[in-house]
Amino acid sequence: MTADNHKFLADKGSILKVCLTASLIIFLFLLPLFVGSPYYLHILLLTFIYTVASISLRTITISGQFPLAHAAFMGIGAYFSALAAKFWGWPPLLCILLSAFATMFIGMLVGYLFSRLRTLYYAIGSLFFGIGVIYIIYAFPCTGGYTGMMGIPRLFQSADKLPYYYFFLIVAVFSIAALYRFEHSHIGTILKAISQSHLVASSIGINEVWYRVLVNGVGCFFVGLIGAGYAHYNMAMSPTAFDFMATLWLCMYVLIGGITSFAGPIIGTFILFLLPEFVRGLQIYAPYFSAFLLFIVIFFMPKGLVSLPNLLKDYFLKRKEGGGISNVSGS
Amino acid sequence: MGLLINTVINSLILSSMYILASLGFAFLFNMLRVFNLAHGAIYMIGGYIGYYFIVGMGMNHWFALFLATVIVAFFGVFLERFLFRRLKGDFNLNIMACVLIVVVLQTTVNIIVGDKTMAIPSFAEGVVRTGLFSVSNERIVTFTAGVILLGAAIWFVKYTKIGLQMQAIAQNRGGAILQGIDINRVSAIAFALGCGLAAIAGVFLGAYLRLSPYMGDLMLTKVVIIFMLAGVGSITGILITGFILGTLSSVLPVFISGAASDAVIIAIVIVILLIRPQGFFGYQVDM
Repeated sequence: MTADNHKFLADKGSILKVCLTASLIIFLFLLPLFVGSPYYLHILLLTFIYTVASISLRTITISGQFPLAHAAFMGIGAYFSALAAKFWGWPPLLCILLSAFATMFIGMLVGYLFSRLRTLYYAIGSLFFGIGVIYIIYAFPCTGGYTGMMGIPRLFQSADKLPYYYFFLIVAVFSIAALYRFEHSHIGTILKAISQSHLVASSIGINEVWYRVLVNGVGCFFVGLIGAGYAHYNMAMSPTAFDFMATLWLCMYVLIGGITSFAGPIIGTFILFLLPEFVRGLQIYAPYFSAFLLFIVIFFMPKGLVSLPNLLKDYFLKRKEGGGISNVSGS
Repeated sequence: MGLLINTVINSLILSSMYILASLGFAFLFNMLRVFNLAHGAIYMIGGYIGYYFIVGMGMNHWFALFLATVIVAFFGVFLERFLFRRLKGDFNLNIMACVLIVVVLQTTVNIIVGDKTMAIPSFAEGVVRTGLFSVSNERIVTFTAGVILLGAAIWFVKYTKIGLQMQAIAQNRGGAILQGIDINRVSAIAFALGCGLAAIAGVFLGAYLRLSPYMGDLMLTKVVIIFMLAGVGSITGILITGFILGTLSSVLPVFISGAASDAVIIAIVIVILLIRPQGFFGYQVDM
């Protein structure tokens, strides 16, 4: 295949991607016209929140490290903003912005502290950090402890879901666009180099520690932002929303969608949040449905849901050729 | 004086149970590189099966303990054969599989028993009184049984053929296969042993503390702490770090509040991990 041909295909693919993304965003902007029920708006809103959280988690993982404390960072943002708004009486919007920066600062600090640790040890170290954050929230009386925090000031004065829907949609689109740019920038390339071999990357003059601290800061900024927004939307929260299981579920959103692709966490979050809504009649049996999804992904799509089109293509090509070796497209 | 003695006994019981649960976790990671995040859920299910046999069917405590252990051990073999063996050590898939197990087990327990907390009736009634202090029989029995089982588990790993094969696989997987060790069989035994030990801890602590569908989450934290402090590849290290953690987590709450003591323990652990990532007795793995 010639280089020109290849370029043309790539362009066609990217135009398709842009069109799909734009139509999805327009669809989501127009959706409240058709969906009046506050409950569905609430579910969609939570989906936006967790999409940003999972995609910022994936952004940290492009440096090759897998943090297991992301929900805890979300909790840091949420509690910081809630405490500032409740006890100091600052306007919620300012609190959200400030807490995003505060979370970024803490994330960078943690990234610097753990910069000696790699792979498993980094994952476990951040896991311990996340657990420690939850214990600290429990230990301080001003956070409400085990019962959770109540009476957090609202972001908007009305109780209507609509302004929140648009707020979170805009924040989500902005964050996803920013993280996409970040990953496809010069820095993103450097981070991928570090993830492939930190030794080689260091040998060509890349300051590994600085870039890992930086990506931690970026990921934590967005998760702090969205966590703070969540606090001012929900008005009440308990530490269990940010504990280790919450982190694991964030990881599941990323892994089910596919960690190798930028779209993976978005797809994973939408599938895992919206599909169980269709089986809401199952009530307490609903977690089995998520478990079933996990099972399907583990055994049939180990690379995540984003690999589904390729798998289908391979499958049908194989059948057309009568069980021969599949023709890998693009080769 | 009474407080002191009770704290000491408390810490010994907690240590022995933590060590039992962490030994299983350590087997699975050292041999198969399975970071078994479902260990807490398996511990929980062991406690509930024990409860069902003791309270629901009115069995003898020790027979129920035996049955619960065997059932959970077979469950572990089932998991190894049909889940973990197929994933071939892929870390991400392993984590997904563990979450799958946790979700299924917790949901099942939630549906069957609901949110109500229950406790297994104690293994022994009565109190031993001396002049200075009094200790309940249950604590003595739990501690003695824990130490005996611990000794048995260590003996199994150190001195039986299968135990030595397990150690060989933990040290060098490729070399062990070259020596003709049937890795699938030994893996299945390791899973049976790991899950069985977790179930024993679940039954004992279900009698000593209380049962709840989410009790495994707390245990998982302790198990991971003990395992990471001991380090990958070390079995004797588990004994020491488990004892340290059990002591800390029963002595610290005497002085400061529960959540604060947990935070202090986690802080200490993070500092140790930063200074010595491979743990006290282990070696560094690259995965």
